This record gives sequence, C-alpha cells and structure tokens, in this order.
Amino acid sequence: MIKIPIKVLVVDDEKDFVEMLCLRLKETGEQTSFAYDGETCLDILAKSDIDVVILDIRMPGMDGIETLQKIKHDFPLVEVIMLTGHGTTETAVEGMKLGAYDYLLKPANFSELQIKLNGARNRKDEQEERIRRARTKLLLRKSGDI
Amino acid sequence: MMTEITILLVDDEAAFRQALSRRLNKRGFNVLQADSGSQCLSMLNNHSVSVIIMDVKMPEMSGIETLRQIKKKYPDKVEVILLTGQVSAQDGVTGIKIGAFDYLTKPVEIDHLAEKIKQANESIIRKEERIAENAFREKVAHQMAAAERLASLGTLATGIAHEINNPLAIINESAGFLSQILARQKMLQIPCRKEFELSIDKIITAVERAGKITHQLLGFARNGHSDYTRVDLPELIAESIDLLTHEMSNRNIDITTSFDPLSKEIMTDPFQLRQVFINLLSNANYAVGENGRISISTANHGQEVAISIQDTGPGIPANHIEKIFEPFFTTKPPNKGTGLGLFVTRNIIDKLGGSIRVDSKLNVGTTFRVVLPKCLEMQIKAFETENSATDWISHIKGESYHDKNSD
Ligand SMILES: Nc1ncnc2c1ncn2[C@@H]1O[C@H](COP(=O)(O)OP(=O)(O)OP(=O)(O)O)[C@@H](O)[C@H]1O
Ligand SMILES: [Mg+2]
Repeated sequence: MIKIPIKVLVVDDEKDFVEMLCLRLKETGEQTSFAYDGETCLDILAKSDIDVVILDIRMPGMDGIETLQKIKHDFPLVEVIMLTGHGTTETAVEGMKLGAYDYLLKPANFSELQIKLNGARNRKDEQEERIRRARTKLLLRKSGDI
Repeated sequence: MMTEITILLVDDEAAFRQALSRRLNKRGFNVLQADSGSQCLSMLNNHSVSVIIMDVKMPEMSGIETLRQIKKKYPDKVEVILLTGQVSAQDGVTGIKIGAFDYLTKPVEIDHLAEKIKQANESIIRKEERIAENAFREKVAHQMAAAERLASLGTLATGIAHEINNPLAIINESAGFLSQILARQKMLQIPCRKEFELSIDKIITAVERAGKITHQLLGFARNGHSDYTRVDLPELIAESIDLLTHEMSNRNIDITTSFDPLSKEIMTDPFQLRQVFINLLSNANYAVGENGRISISTANHGQEVAISIQDTGPGIPANHIEKIFEPFFTTKPPNKGTGLGLFVTRNIIDKLGGSIRVDSKLNVGTTFRVVLPKCLEMQIKAFETENSATDWISHIKGESYHDKNSD
C-alpha cells in the first residue's frame, strides 16, 4: 500500500524546532510547510491545502488559542494538534473544547505525534467524505426535481 | 486545683532536711532531698524539679558552686532559693548575681518560704511559656519564609521551565532526526553505527528526564488560580488509574478500589487533584515491583473525605520519611525519578485546603492518606448565591449529620 502523505503545517516561533520537526516529518513521508506566527499560519491555510496544523500554544503576538479559534472559524475541516509546555493540561483541554483534535506535551515523543497525526488526518477524511455524500444527495434530489 | 510543685531540698544536715521536708509536705509540696551539691546535680538528671532550696554552706561543693553548675546546665528549667546563715548574707547576694531566684536566712520562717517557693514556681512557668512562645514564633516565621520562597520559586520555576522546554524540544527533534537518518537503507552499513545509536539513545533519554522535571515544575507552579468544579471522585480516580495502566500492564499488579458512596462528589480542582493521584499511584506502582497490591479507598468524614492509597511495597525507612516531601529527594535512578512528585503533591494538597500523611512499615507497605475538604467554606458562600448549586451544597452539608464513622 502506498502511503498518502499528510499535509502538515508546523507553527511555532522557535525556528530551530520548526526546522527539525519538518525534517523528521519529511523523512517519514509527510508533506510539510511551516510558519513562525499565527498570522502567517492563517495566510498559508488560505493559500494551500493543509490536513493538520501542529500548533504551539505559547507564541508571542497572536497566541495558540487565538490562532486555533481563527483556524476553526475560517477552515473548520483542518485538524489541529496543540503543543504545550504545561505539566497540567488545562490550556490544552481548553484547546480541545475549541475543536483541536488532540495535544502533546513538549518535548514530544515522535511516535505519539505520528499516531495523533494519522488520527487527525483520518478524522478530516471522514468529515470530508460525509460532506461529499451530503452534497451528492442534495444534487441527486435537485436533478430528480427537474 | 494547683498542680503539685516538686521541690528539691539540698542540705548536708539530715535533721534539718527531715524537719523542713515534713513541714513543706504538709503544705502540699512534693519534696525530694539531697545531702550534697553533687547528689543534687545527679538527681536533676532524672527528676523533674521546679524549685531547689539549697544551703549555701556545705562541705565538698558549696551551694554557690552548685548553683553555678545548675544555671549552666539548666538555665531556664529550675529556680534556686538559697539558704544562708545570719552572718553570711553576702553569699546570698553573690548567689543572686549568679542567678538564684532569692535567698533566705536561717532559721527559715515557713510561711515566708512557702510564699517564695510559689513565686519561684510561677517564674519558671512564665519562662517556659516564653520559650514555647518564642519557639512557636520562630516556627511561624520559618514557615512564612518558606512559603514566600516557594511563591517566588514558583514564578521562577515557570519561567525557567518554559524557557528550557523549547531548547529541550529542539534537542529532542534533532536527536530523533539523527536516528531516522541512521535508519535509512544506505546507512545500515556505516562504520561506528553502534556508537552513533548509543549516543543518540542517551541524548533522547536525558531529554525525557529533563522534560519530566520541567513538566512537574510547571504543574506545581500554577499557583495563581484553581478551577473548582464538582468532581466525581471515583471517576477521577479511575481515570488516573487508566492513565497509568500502560506502565503496569506487563506486571502482575492487583489494583482494588473501594469508594464510600457518601463522598462521591466533592468540589475541587480536578486537574490538580488528578496530578496528585497520578503522582501517588506511580509511586505505589514503582514500589510494588513485579507482584503486589495497590488499594485505593475513600472514606467519608463529615465535611471531609479521606483518600487512602496503600501499597504492598518495601516501605519507607524511618530516616527517609522526613525527607520524601522535600524537592529533589529521590531513591530512584536519575532517569527514573525527579524527586519532585511528592513535593508537588503536598503543594497541591495544601492549595486545595487538605492534608497528606504517610504511614509506612518496612517489608509490609506504605499508605498515603489524603484528607480533602468536600467543599471550601468560601466556595459554599459563592455557590449559595447560585441557585443551581444550592441543592448539592445542602446535600453535602446534610451528609455530615448522618455520618457515623467520623473519627
Ligand atoms: N509508595 C512508596 N513506597 C516506597 N517509597 C516511596 C513511596 N512513595 C515515595 N517513596 C519514596 O519517596 C521518594 C520521593 O518520592 P517522589 O514521588 O517525591 O519522587 P520520585 O518518585 O523519586 O520521582 P518522580 O516522582 O519524579 O518519579 C521516592 O524516591 C521513594 O524513595
Ligand atoms: Mg514519584
């Protein structure tokens, strides 16, 4: 079976982290892009097709939670995995309530990240599939009317 | 009723001693006797005496010399009344300079002596009170200093932990990337492959260890706010056990729970309390080793709930018990434990208004007992204004009236 690459957008103000994580994800066959702040993240989402955003919660300027809200508002189908430095998970849980798929503690375990990435992509696929079916039904009904 | 005053009568003349002793006995004093300064000193070692009545003129060691030694050894525990001859009142003055409570000239007038004894006894009681008060004050000052230190340590710790997490994450990804490169097909045969793998492994383990520390610190440093909500205690405990099951799965550990239905719901911060359970359970899990039992139970105590986490591990040696709540105290190998678990646990429990206690027996096991208020008074007030919660609050308060097994 051929692996279909996941289109991942890594968002973190820590440039070295972004660079290394992208390298690792490419190595495992994913397709990566990156942004160092929330605004750029939204720009990229507007221009390109992304499956999953890996989003740092603590960023200067627009923080992770705010960015997440905008993502979910403008691009509801894009899945988000939050990265947090917190030992307790409250911010991450807040993120989940806002629609994030899951969260990871930083420094994160890569195989856990991979599992979550796959889960997130699957959820996105399912949702897209549902929408497609609903549309088809709608179309069929319309053509039946004529 | 006055508590009995114990007097030690020191005089080399037996007849005088007997007579005075009898008269003091009649007045309700408890009287001990010594026939010399050295006997007096040795008796003080194993008798609790408040007032000494001592003749100045004694062969061997004089009253003055004995007084000097008493004051040196027990500066605040006993008062001394000297008895001097008519002609040697000067001795009395010397005695007072050294620290005698007072002096009387022989022959003694018994009422006068009794009065002096009572005064001396009161003076000792006052001294003891002052000492206790000072000790208490010192302890409070010490605790406050510790609390302040912790608060600023908390702020500092959050800052540092956050700043350190980012470089840690970079190291983690870089080392991880290296091991991915090593796994490439064309890299399989490179020289020194073993050494590369070994080093990368070490880097990743070390990063995990440092990460554990920063996460614990961040967990503890959330000083500011706690989010109180209604928490289903059995559910929260079950959830915490679930989070640890992958650590326990390959060993033969028996976990049992027993929940008191009277304290199912409490008002607390679930995130912080979960951290408490995780810390205590992972300690118990580590302690029991390959085979063992961990039991968790809750018990209703009026407006409080007691949660016990008991294990059949090796127990904690007496000389460790005092230290286990200190930050960084650990008996685990470096990459297994931070020594912050119990420190964080105690801090959280303090914040939640509860207390934690440990009972441990070598080769038998350890029990940590956490007592939490079901609801802080403050919260009750805040919630009583909200209609939605009043039923529940009165329910909780009502429970305390039916409670039979409070201790
Ligand atoms: N249930 C227990 N049985 C025996 N010893 C215990 C138990 N719980 C704690 N200890 C002792 O107390 C020490 C301190 O515990 P604490 O939880 O603070 O740190 P740790 O467990 O060593 O590290 P970490 O919590 O980061 O894994 C332990 O190293 C161990 O010696
Ligand atoms: Mg521990």
